[in-house]
Amino acid sequence: MEHSTLAAFENLCAQDQPPACQGACPTQLEAGRLADLAAAGQFAEARKILERHLPAPALSARLCEGPCRVKCLRAGLDEPVDLPLLERFIADHSRPGRVFPLPKTGHRAALLGSGLSSLGLAHELAKKGHQAEIVHATPLGGWLAELGPADGPASRPFAGPAASPASTEALSRALAETLDQLRSLKVAFRSVEAFSPQLLAQLEEEFEGVFLGLDDPSVTAAVLGLPELDSDPITMGALRPRLFAARLDPATPFASAMSSAKKAAGSLDRLFQGVNPATAREREALTDSRLPVDLSDREIRPLRPPADPARPQAAEVQAEADRCLRCACLRCLPPCPLLRSRRGHPKKYAREFYNNIITAFGIRHANLAINSCAQCGLCGQICPNGFDLGQFAALARLDMTAASHMPVSAHEFALEDLTSANSPAVAFARPQPGGSEKCRRLLFAGCQLPAAAPEAVEGLYAHLCRHLDGGVGLMFACCGAPAGWAGRPGLTGRTVEALRRAWAALGSPEIVATCPSCLSFFRQEMPEATSVSLWTVLEALPTPAGAQALDAPMILHDPCSARLDEPSQNAVRSLLARLGQSFREPRFARRLTLCCGYGGLADQANPALGREYALQRLADGPEPLLVWCVMCRDRFRRTGRASLHALDLLWPRKPPSEALADPPQGLSARREARLTFRRRMLAELWGETPDQTPQEPEMTVKLDIPGSVLEDLESRRILTSDVLAVLENAALNGPTFVNPETGRRLACLRPRQVTFWVEYEVRPDGACLVHRAWSHRMTVPGVQGRGEESPASLEGFARQGGRV
Amino acid sequence: MAHVFVRPGGEGWVCPKCSRPLGPVSVNVEYMGASFMVELPGCQSCGKVLVDDELALGKMLEVEKLLEDK
Repeated sequence: MEHSTLAAFENLCAQDQPPACQGACPTQLEAGRLADLAAAGQFAEARKILERHLPAPALSARLCEGPCRVKCLRAGLDEPVDLPLLERFIADHSRPGRVFPLPKTGHRAALLGSGLSSLGLAHELAKKGHQAEIVHATPLGGWLAELGPADGPASRPFAGPAASPASTEALSRALAETLDQLRSLKVAFRSVEAFSPQLLAQLEEEFEGVFLGLDDPSVTAAVLGLPELDSDPITMGALRPRLFAARLDPATPFASAMSSAKKAAGSLDRLFQGVNPATAREREALTDSRLPVDLSDREIRPLRPPADPARPQAAEVQAEADRCLRCACLRCLPPCPLLRSRRGHPKKYAREFYNNIITAFGIRHANLAINSCAQCGLCGQICPNGFDLGQFAALARLDMTAASHMPVSAHEFALEDLTSANSPAVAFARPQPGGSEKCRRLLFAGCQLPAAAPEAVEGLYAHLCRHLDGGVGLMFACCGAPAGWAGRPGLTGRTVEALRRAWAALGSPEIVATCPSCLSFFRQEMPEATSVSLWTVLEALPTPAGAQALDAPMILHDPCSARLDEPSQNAVRSLLARLGQSFREPRFARRLTLCCGYGGLADQANPALGREYALQRLADGPEPLLVWCVMCRDRFRRTGRASLHALDLLWPRKPPSEALADPPQGLSARREARLTFRRRMLAELWGETPDQTPQEPEMTVKLDIPGSVLEDLESRRILTSDVLAVLENAALNGPTFVNPETGRRLACLRPRQVTFWVEYEVRPDGACLVHRAWSHRMTVPGVQGRGEESPASLEGFARQGGRV
Repeated sequence: MAHVFVRPGGEGWVCPKCSRPLGPVSVNVEYMGASFMVELPGCQSCGKVLVDDELALGKMLEVEKLLEDK
């Protein structure tokens, strides 16, 4: 993967963008964090934030007009948060923190005037270890006495109600605190009679940099013999390379003085280090936030100014702080178990995935996370910028398999299942019985549905044959989607090629896909074929005669692979309405539907998280779930929730109320059911006897596996056929170990990349009672293996044009 | 070479070919191109070893996952 791919994805996620207020603040104050602490009454902690961001914090906190209020998103609900009130209260009710300046650098700057900009700049420079000298012609901070009640935060024309000004007493205290702090930081003060061009020339000679604090009324361009000053908005540079001047905005004189101090400090610091003051200043500019914030479920809570504006109470300030929206974009997190699991936004995951890919040596920590993504597309739908982590995970998986870094165990079972489903012993494709070899349509039944609901597929196929002209073929095979999810382009290509040949042999019919994953996969991988959804086809046909509704309301769950397939979603709803089935829509439906955990083979790589995906849907209510993907049905059943497939209602095997109690189908049962489906369909519809279909080898061992043991086997993904193979081998070659006391035996076999162990006993009737079975991948000497089974069976499927 | 893991056990089990109870056997196990010595219960005559479920689903699985992520 190219780094540019990562950058393109990362760019989409705006989660780490500063909130609107921060983008509007000249000091980039973390207002959300400040509000958090203030709301909790932790004013001393909140003070530390002020100290970190504000130049001359004691004064700035009392004078800032709060330009953040112009951008505060709360204005869209009621009124902006009164941040100036918070700042003043925090400053009034906490002590200034100790400043630990950097070691002295020996660089010196002269700051003219004792306005807020000069005091702030002195503070900023001193923190960086530089020597600042304030040169003043009037008493220090004398300008404060000139402030009237209309100055400061109270007077500014903002969207919200004006904040109350700081009291004269508070301002005097703030000045004293500021001067004390500056003295403790060894800022020098020089009193002069008056400013003049000669004095300026002298200072420019004496110091490495000179700043003109134009917010002090005694400092003016005219007095210094300069033309009108218009300093650079980023560097505060004015006229000459080592001369800087405050840039004041009459609407927000104090905020602009603070801004001038911060920016001039950055410039002087660069100048002292021999760097161009304009270098790397992008992050200091005021910005319009790109952070998308969802205000839809926010409470309206208008501003309640303090009863006595001169003496706000802590509770009033805490309540105001609590009005802060804590703007953040984490909207993709709540409905995704993966994003939630590590409380990280997609940008962080993308970075981790990328680092994982480029790791040449060492542990690849993100393997599990990459393989735990259901690739369901929900985050991409929720994100205002369309960041789809699944797309990134898919690219990551491709890279991992290409570099042979994909953990073998992650998808091995699913891929083996694909190979088994498409083996000549299982898969088949046939034209309509009694019709031409070529068909107009092909019912693509997939590999899971015919095993999980064989009667429904049989009924469905008969229905289509009856109502559609031109012949309807039937294909029972895996489409190859799991290979795509596993990042195996080779296997995907071979699978699709085999299907393509079988499809072409049937006259390239229109594909009617029963499974939404198959449908989206065909549309992507076989664009030359016309692929349609079963549901839109069924909608146009009469309701089957035996269809039955469940006499109880259900929750309709759309499969994630059909989240963008609105015609199918509508068709399913229309069919259910025609059937009289009562159902309701859950909170996350249609485009925003949830994944059951099967998607992207998330459950295969991470069963615990896979279960979390399925459990999410249960939060919608206690009603049974109605689904139209059979994997969803079985995965919800696995959580204990009664679930029916829409085909369970259209072609019921038993009354739907009874089908609610059906358990999920196990892995071994599904394998067995595939063989049964094939055998029965070929015999009943095409009159093919078992002789014409490939024979399974005759088994001599009879198995007895108690239910609890079977459950363990399922969770360990050990099939009964695996157990049988071990015991068949033991019957021929003897068990590996025996226990004379208990009469039990142990046998092991390594039929593929896995060694299976079975502990069993032979009952008097000859059947093997299985007590336990387990497996491992490590090779241990002395374990008998069987030749690696060739996955080339698909080739046979294709060679015979689908008729296998 | 030190054993990466040592697994006691195998009590009661007998190798049917050699008719010997199991004792500790050092073997070389392999996965993903990595190989290391372990001590497992096994037949000290023919060298066949026993990997019990606790080992297979515990320590051994842990090492397998580690090697897969390496």
